[in-house]
Amino acid sequence: MKTYGKLLPLLLAMGMLAPATTNAQGFLNKIKQKANDAAEKALDKKTDELLNGKKKGEENTTNPPNANTSNNGPGINTGTSTGSPRNKGGAGLVTTPPDVKENLTSAEASFKAANYGEARYSLQQAILGVEMEIGQELLKSLPETIASLPKQADKDQVTSSGWGWAGLTIHREYLKEDKQLSMTIANNALMMNAINLYLNNSAYAQTTGGNQKWKQTKLKGNKAVIEYDESSGYKLSVPLGQSSMIMFEGINFATEQDLMAAASQFDIDLIKKTLGEK
Amino acid sequence: MKTLLYSIMLIAGIGTAQAQEFNKQLSAARTAYSAKKLEESRFAMQQMMQELNIIAGKEVLKLLPAKLEALNSNPANDNVSGASGFAGVVIHRDYGTGAKTAVVDIIGNSPLMASINAILSLPFVASAGGNQKVIKLEGYKALLQKNTDTETNKISYEIQLPLNSSLLTLKAENSTEDEIKKFAASIPVSQLAKTLQ
Repeated sequence: MKTYGKLLPLLLAMGMLAPATTNAQGFLNKIKQKANDAAEKALDKKTDELLNGKKKGEENTTNPPNANTSNNGPGINTGTSTGSPRNKGGAGLVTTPPDVKENLTSAEASFKAANYGEARYSLQQAILGVEMEIGQELLKSLPETIASLPKQADKDQVTSSGWGWAGLTIHREYLKEDKQLSMTIANNALMMNAINLYLNNSAYAQTTGGNQKWKQTKLKGNKAVIEYDESSGYKLSVPLGQSSMIMFEGINFATEQDLMAAASQFDIDLIKKTLGEK
Repeated sequence: MKTLLYSIMLIAGIGTAQAQEFNKQLSAARTAYSAKKLEESRFAMQQMMQELNIIAGKEVLKLLPAKLEALNSNPANDNVSGASGFAGVVIHRDYGTGAKTAVVDIIGNSPLMASINAILSLPFVASAGGNQKVIKLEGYKALLQKNTDTETNKISYEIQLPLNSSLLTLKAENSTEDEIKKFAASIPVSQLAKTLQ
């Protein structure tokens, strides 16, 4: 009986707690629901504001503190008066690559002063500068038109991080109507390993019949891999020397030969030479 | 005493040799650049970067303490291996010869940095596991991790400290959490951060 006496309050407490926990859960769910509703409402309101724009008077009544700051802000576009001003355009960033000689000089000075962090930074800038120049030089040497497709001058791109391992990439596009050839040269690229694996591994052997998605081929005596995909078209990857690769992507090319003929208009040996590949 | 003198001379010798190599590559880079041999110039600059990494790594070794509490360093194992590329420079020093040992490894410009920084900026993630916690060394945040060997049940501790784009790792075998914290306290973190920039 004694033990029952001890257990009774415990059982009672448990009995009271059980509905309490379910109640608590219900309560939590309600709070969650409310929060969701509120968030949705706020979101809807914001989207409406963004889509339709809001009249000034309305803004003053609904959101007085913001209205003050936005009215005083410079260059407010009244059509989209949602608070902060919008940038209407500027000259953008200057894209001049870093000066190689200047950076080498400052690298030398920092090195002499045992300021290695600074020396490293300047050296990295110098590498970046020289890589950009290599890229620009390569772009200049490429043909203006390929398979009667003119180059898209504004799509020319040279990308370098100056880190070495991330590499240097050079990109150009040729386009006429819906036929497009884009070319990317990657130098010192990590992805090189992958493509070389393709070429060296006999497990990726070619099959006859069935649906051939890719095969090995040669472009001007260089081993290459050509792929075809119904949605993205032809893709030809050619490793160059030890650490570079050139990749052509052809959209709306009629046949494999069509793409190969276009790709062979590039002077592969010159590209190799510019990149210092053997 | 003599051997110490010799080794100091040897280290100094290697240092100047590296400096000479740096200057040699610098003039090669300049000449090639002026002659519009851009790729050659770039290669010379990459060589310079490698030399620079190794020289800077040696400077860092000088900053590391000769002793961690009772553990003496093993100068023969001091190592700076520089790769100009992906992994960056690796600076290594170890301490102690008995059961109790500690290792300091610094990976310069490490790509692993991003994940550590992510853990540090989310303190509740770091402390949630129970085996990890965020501590501070000279004001720099670091991650303290407890590892238990699944076979031997031996416990080891590890501190990972991101410094700019470098990562310092201190590992201690057969030590307690307090001990590894004391080891870490003798590492001149601010000075290292300055050198590793």
